[in-house]
Amino acid sequence: MTRLGLLRRFPSVEIAWQNLGRNRARTGLATLGVIIGVVAIVSLGMAGAAIQQQANTNLGSLTNEVSVSSGADSDEDGVTDGQVDDIRSVVVDADVVPQKSNATTLSTRSGERTRVTVSGVTRADVLYETSAGVAPERLRSGALLSADTAAELGLELGDPVEYDGTLYRLRGFIESDEGFGPGGDELVLPLSALSEQEHYDTVTVVAEDGNAATDIADTLEAEFNDEDEEILSVTSFAGTQEDINSFLGTLNLALLGIGLISLVVASVAILNIMLMSTIERRGEIGVLRAVGIRRGEVLRMILAEAAFLGIIGGLVGSVLSLGAGLVLFDVLTGDPMLVFGWESVRYLFYGFGFAVFASVVSGLYPAWKAANDPPVEALRG
Amino acid sequence: MAQTVNVIEIENVVKRYESGQGVVEALKGVDFHARHGEMVTIIGPSGSGKSTLLNMIGLLDTPTEGTVHLDGTDVTDFTEDELTEERRSKLGFVFQAFHLLPMLTAVENVELPSRWDTSVDRRDRAVDLLERVGLGDRTTHTPEELSGGQRQRVAIARALINEPDVVLADEPTGNLDQDTSDTVLTELTRLKDDEGVAIVAVTHDEQLLEYTDRVVELIDGRIQS
Repeated sequence: MTRLGLLRRFPSVEIAWQNLGRNRARTGLATLGVIIGVVAIVSLGMAGAAIQQQANTNLGSLTNEVSVSSGADSDEDGVTDGQVDDIRSVVVDADVVPQKSNATTLSTRSGERTRVTVSGVTRADVLYETSAGVAPERLRSGALLSADTAAELGLELGDPVEYDGTLYRLRGFIESDEGFGPGGDELVLPLSALSEQEHYDTVTVVAEDGNAATDIADTLEAEFNDEDEEILSVTSFAGTQEDINSFLGTLNLALLGIGLISLVVASVAILNIMLMSTIERRGEIGVLRAVGIRRGEVLRMILAEAAFLGIIGGLVGSVLSLGAGLVLFDVLTGDPMLVFGWESVRYLFYGFGFAVFASVVSGLYPAWKAANDPPVEALRG
Repeated sequence: MAQTVNVIEIENVVKRYESGQGVVEALKGVDFHARHGEMVTIIGPSGSGKSTLLNMIGLLDTPTEGTVHLDGTDVTDFTEDELTEERRSKLGFVFQAFHLLPMLTAVENVELPSRWDTSVDRRDRAVDLLERVGLGDRTTHTPEELSGGQRQRVAIARALINEPDVVLADEPTGNLDQDTSDTVLTELTRLKDDEGVAIVAVTHDEQLLEYTDRVVELIDGRIQS
C-alpha cells in the first residue's frame, strides 16, 4: 500500500479510500449508477443547448425584420405610397423596403420550366445576399434570381429572363438560406416591372436587431391600428424567436428533469449500498469507536466514501458526456467544437456538482447511523 | 511490580437493562479495582454479567448506579465524546474475534487508534510493538495473510499503541489453540510488565488463569468472595 503524504493528513479520507477498494464490484456498481446519472443530465442538457444554438442560427437572419402588409380593415388592396411615407416618418434608424409580389413561370430554350415568386423591389441590397454578382442598392434594371433556380434552369450571370413581355438581364444570384427566411425560387425585379400593381404587397422594415424590430413593430401597431381596426398587419419575427426560445427553454428543463431523475435513482442506489456496507461493517465500526475513534471521525470517513463514489462517477461521467456532446453537436449543428461553448460545457460542471452533492447527501444517513451506533451494541452485533 | 494506586476503580455498580421480559439487572452492586502492572481475570458462567462488567471498565457502557474512576478521575457522568477521549488515551482493547481491519496491513492496524491524531506519527512505535510481539517480519502483511495467533498479537500491539493504563481483553484466547494461546499470553504478560499496564481479562479459559495475578468470580451479577 503506497502512502500518499497528503492523504496521511486526512485519515478519514485515506481509510475511506481503502474501504472502497475492499469490495470493488460494489464500488463499481455504485459508481456506474452515478456515471449513468451524470451522462443523462449532461448529454440531455447539451442536446438542449445544441438545439437552441441551431434554432438561433436559423432564425438569426429573420429576427431583425418587421413585415408590414395591408390589414383586414384597410380600404386598399395593399400598402399605399402614402402609408409607406408614414412608415418612413415614424421609423428611425431602419431601412424601409416596399415590395410588390407576383408569380410567374420561367422557361428556357431547352424547355425547362419552373414556377417562381416575383418580387419588385428597389433596395435589393437590404433584403438579399448574393452568392454571385451583386444585389444593387437601387435596382433599376436587370434581375436577381435564386441561385438554386438558376442552377436548375442552367442560367448564368448576364443571361436574360423574361417577365410580362420584358427581358431582364441577370445581375446576381441570391444565396439560398438554410433557415426559415424568404427563400425558395424567387425572381427579383425592379419595382417598375410590376407597375400595373398600384400598391405594395409588403413593406419590410430591417432594424438593427431583434429588440429594435420589436420596438418598431409596437410603434407601427400604435400608429396605424387600434383595438377594433387593423389598417396595417404588422409581423415581427423577433416575437417568434422569443416564443421559440421560451419553448426551447422549457424543453431543456424537461430534458434536465429526466436526467435528474436518473441521478436521483443513482443516489438511492448509493444510499442503499452505503447502508448495506455500514451494516456489514457494524462490528468493525464498533471496534473503531471502542479504540477511541470519535463519532465525527467515523461520520467523515463514511461521508468521504460516498463523496469518492460521486467524484469518481462524476469524473468518468463527465468525460463520457463530453464525447456524447461532441457527437451531438456534430449531428445537430455540424460543428462538434461548439460543445466547448459555455452554454453546453456548463452542463459538465452541473452534472459533476450534482453527482458529488447527491452522493454526499445519500451518504449522510448511513454515516450518521454508523457514527451514533453505541459501540457496545455494534460490537455485540 | 504492582503499584498500590488503583488505575481503575468501580464502586457499587448496578446495571439494569430494559428487555422483552421486563427489567434485567445484569450487575447488582459490584466493586472492582485493578492496579498498574496487575493482571486481573474475571470468570463466571454465561449470563453472570462478565461482559457487562468489562464494558463498564472499558467505558463502553455507563452504569445505572455507582461510580467509575479511571486513573483517579470520576468518569461516571462523562458524555459519550469525553468517554471516547478517555478510551483513546487510556485504554486498549483485545477482542476474541481480533477485529482487525482487513484492508490495512499489520502495522496500519496497530497504529489505527492513533491515526486520527495527526500531531504524532506512531509508525515507529507500531513497528516497534510488532517487533516486540515477534511479528517484525510481518509488518506489511494484511490480516488474511496472518495466522490466528499472529492476528491476536497484532491486536495486542494495537491495544498498546497509545500507551494505555488499562488493557481490556475479552476472551483473548477464545479463538486460538492451546500452543498459540500460550504464545499470545506470554506476550501479553511480558508487555504488561514492560509497559506497566493493568490487564483486565474475561475468559472461560483455565489456561489463562496460570498467567493471571488475581481472579474475580462473578455469579448472577455479584462478585463471589
